[in-house]
This record gives sequence, C-alpha cells and structure tokens, in this order.
Amino acid sequence: MRRLPVYLLLDTSGSMYGEPIEAVKNGVQVLVSTLRSDPYALETAYLSIITFNSTAQQVTPLTELANFQAPNLEASGCTALGEALSLLATKVDQEVTKTTPEMKGDWKPLVFIMTDGMPTDNIQKGLEEFRKRKFGVVVACAVGKGVDTSVLKQITENVIAIENADSAKIQSFFKWVSASVSAGSMKVEETGKEMGSLSELPPPPPEVNIVV
Amino acid sequence: MLSENGISASTPETKDFIRWMTTEAWNNYQKDRMDKKIIVKNRIDSHPIVIPNATKGKHYSSPVITLPTEDAFDFSIEGPDELGLIVLHDSDGVFKIAGTPQVTGDFHFTLRYKYHGWLEGEPLLERKIPFAVNPNPRDLWKDIPTPTDIQFFKEDCEAEQIIIKAGPDGSPRKDMVAASKRGRSHAQEGKARDDHFRLFHSDDNDWYIIAVADGAGSARFSRKGSEVACNTVVDFCKTKLADASAFEEKINNYRNANDEETARKILGDAVYSIVGNAAFMAHKAINALSDNVEGTKPKDFATTLLLAICKKLDFGWFVASFWVGDGAMCIYNREKHTARLLGVPDEGEFSGQTRFLTMPEIFRDARSLYQRLRFGIVPDFTALMLMTDGVSDPMFGTEANLNNIDRWDDLWDKLSNGFPEDDIPGVDLSDDNENVKEGLLKWLDFWKPGEHDDRTIAILY
Repeated sequence: MRRLPVYLLLDTSGSMYGEPIEAVKNGVQVLVSTLRSDPYALETAYLSIITFNSTAQQVTPLTELANFQAPNLEASGCTALGEALSLLATKVDQEVTKTTPEMKGDWKPLVFIMTDGMPTDNIQKGLEEFRKRKFGVVVACAVGKGVDTSVLKQITENVIAIENADSAKIQSFFKWVSASVSAGSMKVEETGKEMGSLSELPPPPPEVNIVV
Repeated sequence: MLSENGISASTPETKDFIRWMTTEAWNNYQKDRMDKKIIVKNRIDSHPIVIPNATKGKHYSSPVITLPTEDAFDFSIEGPDELGLIVLHDSDGVFKIAGTPQVTGDFHFTLRYKYHGWLEGEPLLERKIPFAVNPNPRDLWKDIPTPTDIQFFKEDCEAEQIIIKAGPDGSPRKDMVAASKRGRSHAQEGKARDDHFRLFHSDDNDWYIIAVADGAGSARFSRKGSEVACNTVVDFCKTKLADASAFEEKINNYRNANDEETARKILGDAVYSIVGNAAFMAHKAINALSDNVEGTKPKDFATTLLLAICKKLDFGWFVASFWVGDGAMCIYNREKHTARLLGVPDEGEFSGQTRFLTMPEIFRDARSLYQRLRFGIVPDFTALMLMTDGVSDPMFGTEANLNNIDRWDDLWDKLSNGFPEDDIPGVDLSDDNENVKEGLLKWLDFWKPGEHDDRTIAILY
C-alpha cells in the first residue's frame, strides 16, 4: 500500500527550553491523537520526527500512526538546521519506497519544519542534499522574531510564522499540521493525486501568518 | 556518652549537642536515602520499556517486560484493567499485558515499585508509561447513504446474475455475474457510486455482452457517464448481434483461412463495426447528454470503459473487446495457467495520463481506435473477468503485475476462498448457482488499507 510519509523537523535548541518545548511535546501528542481518529490518515499517513539542536537526530523513525509513541523531547544546545536537512535526505532515501513496475511506491513526503532561531551551522550542504530529493508540500514555520525568514525561503517557498513561542500559538500550528495531514491523506486516497502547494492545504488559523 | 569520652559538658550543652548531632546525622541519613532513591528512580526511568499500542476490539499481547530487580522490587502496574486488559505476572518485575481493549484513546500506565531500602509507610516510586489504543480503522468509516434527490442518483450497490441453463444438447453453459459497490471513501462522505456495469445474454443465439465502466473521480457527473457508456455499448452490440450469422461466418472463415492475414483483416473490420462502433456511439451519447445538461462539458461525464462480447462456437470461444482507461480485462484459464489480457490499461502514472472514453483523441482516427480492440479464438477458459481499478489496484498493485499469471491465480484463489480474516466468504462460482450475485457483492467488501475506491467486477464463468 502507498504510504503518505510525514516528516516533522523540530527545533529543540536551548531557546526552546521550558514552556515552548512542553508545548511542542503536547502538540505532537495532540497531532497523533487527532490523526488516529481520521480513517484516511490512520491508514495512510506515517510519521517521523527529526529534532535538531547541536546535532540532528531522528527521534522517531517513519512509523505507522497506530504504532506511534510520542518521544520525549528536551531542549538544549544550538540550531543545526543544515544537519537536519541532510539527515532528512538520508532518511527519505532509506524509508520512503520508490515506485517500481511491480510496486507502487509511497506518496511524496510532506515536511513540516519548525524553528525559533537562526541556523548555527552552514545549511548549504544540507540544502543541496534536500533539494535532490522529491517532496510533496514542504512548510517551514518561523517561531518568534529571532528567525530570518529569508533563510527558510531557501528551503521552501511555503514559509509561515507565529509571533512567539507561547503554548497557544504552538498548539495552533500543530492543529493546522494535523488538518493538513488529514487533507493530504484524503486527497491521495480519493483522487490518487498528491498535494503540490500550500494553497491545497487547509487555510492556516489566524495565529499563523503566511510569509510572502 | 560524653563523659565516657572524657568530655565534661553542662546539661544544656549536652542537650544542645545531642540536638546538633542527631539533626546532622538525620540530615545525612535523609540525604543518603534520597540519593539512593534517585539513583534507582533514574535507572528505572531510563530502563527501556516499550509497550506497543493496541487496537480496539483486537486481541492484544505485549512482549514480556523485564524490570531490573537488582534495583527495586514489588513492581506493580496500574491502568491496564481499566481498558479491559490484564497484567500477567511471571515473577516480580517480569510481566506482560494482554487482552482485548474496549476503549480508544491515549493513556498512561503507572509502574509502581519499591527501591531496596524502602521502609514501611514510605510512598512507592512510580513511572508513567504511555499507551494508546487505536480505533479499529473499520469503525471509523461512515456509511452515509447517497441523497436520493441529487442529479443522476444511483444506488450505492448493485448486483446481477444471468444463469444460463444447459443447452439443448445437455452441455452446461457459462453463467454471468457482476457486482458493483460504492467505495468507502464515497460512503464516508455520502457521495454516489461512479462505477457501472451491464450484462446481456441472448437466449436466441447465445452471444454474451459485458460492459464495465468507472466514472472519473474528478468529474462531477461521471456516475451518469459510466451508466450511459455501459447502456449504449450493450444496446448497440445487442442490436448488431441480433442477427449475427454474417459475423459468425467471418469468424468461421478466419478460423479456416489459408490466407490468415486477409481473413483477419475482414474479421477485424467486422469487429470494428460492432465493438469499435459501440464505443464510438457511447462517446457520442455522452457528448449529446452534455449538450442537453446545461453548464456541462463531456469531460464532466468522464468514464473508462471495458467491453467484451463473446460466444462459444464449435471450435472454441470467440472473444472481442474494447478497452479505454484503467482497470483490467482478462481471459483466465486456471488449468492451463494462463491469463490473456485483453488490451493495455491506460494508467496515469506510467503512460502520463489516464484516458477516458470522453476524450476526442480516442476516436481521432481508425488506428488509435484499432489499438484498443482485441479479438481472437481461445479454447475453453475458467473465467472472463472485467473489473474497475477499485478491484484491480488492491489485487495487482501495478499495471505490470497484470501480466503476472501468479497474481491472477491469487485473485482467483481469493474469489474462491474469500477473506477468512474479515469474515468474507468465497464466491461459489459453480455452474447454475442461484445465489452467486449476493456472494460476489459481499466479496467486494474485502479490506485493504488505503484502497477505498468504488469496486466493480463482472465474471463470465
């Protein structure tokens, strides 16, 4: 069966310590609970979490929603976004099935990146690796004022922003991600076509601004 | 104690000293115990415990969980019983969780234990372990009936059988059955079935006609397009084959021809005039329909079409067909282990774009139409099958697998044996079975994650 891989790239640098990281953990939990009650997503969507601080690590490999258990996230260190992009490329190669004449491969992965600061590593290498892979919709979310969105624009044209890292705003971002994954799962199952742009996702809530 | 050690102290000094000494010692004692406790707690907290998630209504059995008894003892776990699960203890610190959970949601189990050195009355240490019970995906799919007041309403499912008793010479004759069912994704939203089929058998001259069509999901009135396509081609062929003597003579000539190429050309032209024209009539009927329905274009009725006509002759079966779009159509022979595909599916992913009967380019010239026609004489066969992609996708996965005879064997086995794990019985495709259509309709309920399209299959057997 064709899976819809969803990769969340979450910033767990020191600046996320305290309320923000708790809100992210809670957001992941709510995201998974919500998607589990959606028949399209429960059968189609697979979720992976990559966190980045001083290094990048895949804390949850691509996992069927039914088997997903929210990882424990801790905030410390810097913001190795470049490394996270490299790791994403590697994991996509390993985890996402390609189409062959005998088997239809997975749908193109959806990627949601969330960061509250500027990358502390050089993102060029990661960016190159990332660009060599095929993705469905890639959305980067800037949290707070400390992010230069032009850096995120290098990764994807779909950049959104929330004003600060308070719980309610982080929650609304995750709710929107959840609605987007639901819509994406439904679209592939119903029409056999994938999402290609931000405009096909549900409209973001008022707390989430689209950066043009 | 002081005087024994040669210390002389006044009574207040002695009192104060004892207070000082005990307080100090007590604090050290408490700190020591706290350290011990924290060390154990950290060890237990970091001990890998994975309790995989369960699914509501499905039997669950966790792997055996082993806790470090060198650090702690009297382990207990609280929570599973509230979900209808039980904890099976082997020995202290070794247990598993089993049962059939009856509620869904995200929960936490509480692991409680005593550390070595624990004293009576002291609270137990604990660790929370996340655990989720998933809904059964099958419970999540709703079945909302299609509103009957929509334009071009269609029943959510349909099944038909044509049982043909033995001929005058007493030899059994093949029967036909077809079933069509709305997909779960349509049922979830109360949307209509887009698939259609039509069967016909002539009692006069024993010709069989079968049509199956799949209305495009993206076209708003494709449910009507598939219906018009099936009805038009079957009615057209029916009329053409009412007197089939000239056509059958061409089949005979082809069979006996010395000059095969010429005879094949003559027969091919005749097939073209029946099957090819039937498809073209359907194309035109849809164009005419769209002219009559305001605000629509032919592509709003986009549909695939699989059509087969056949007849048993003295020397074997003659089969002719037309195919546009995805799905599958095949002559399957179980004994000889062969599956002859009656065309090439037009599938989006590999050939660029799915084709529909409604596209003008299908009929632009005779050659492109010819490519979609097949005809030939085959010895007896097990079944002639036509199906929409709602059946062929979950059964074959890709277009390439349609050429794999083992996959056709699998499909036939699944038809015969059903899906025991889903309580779906096999279909009894024995001659003259009067309950075959109910069986086939039920069979279409088979479960495959992510495969929820409308399903239609027609079988001549």
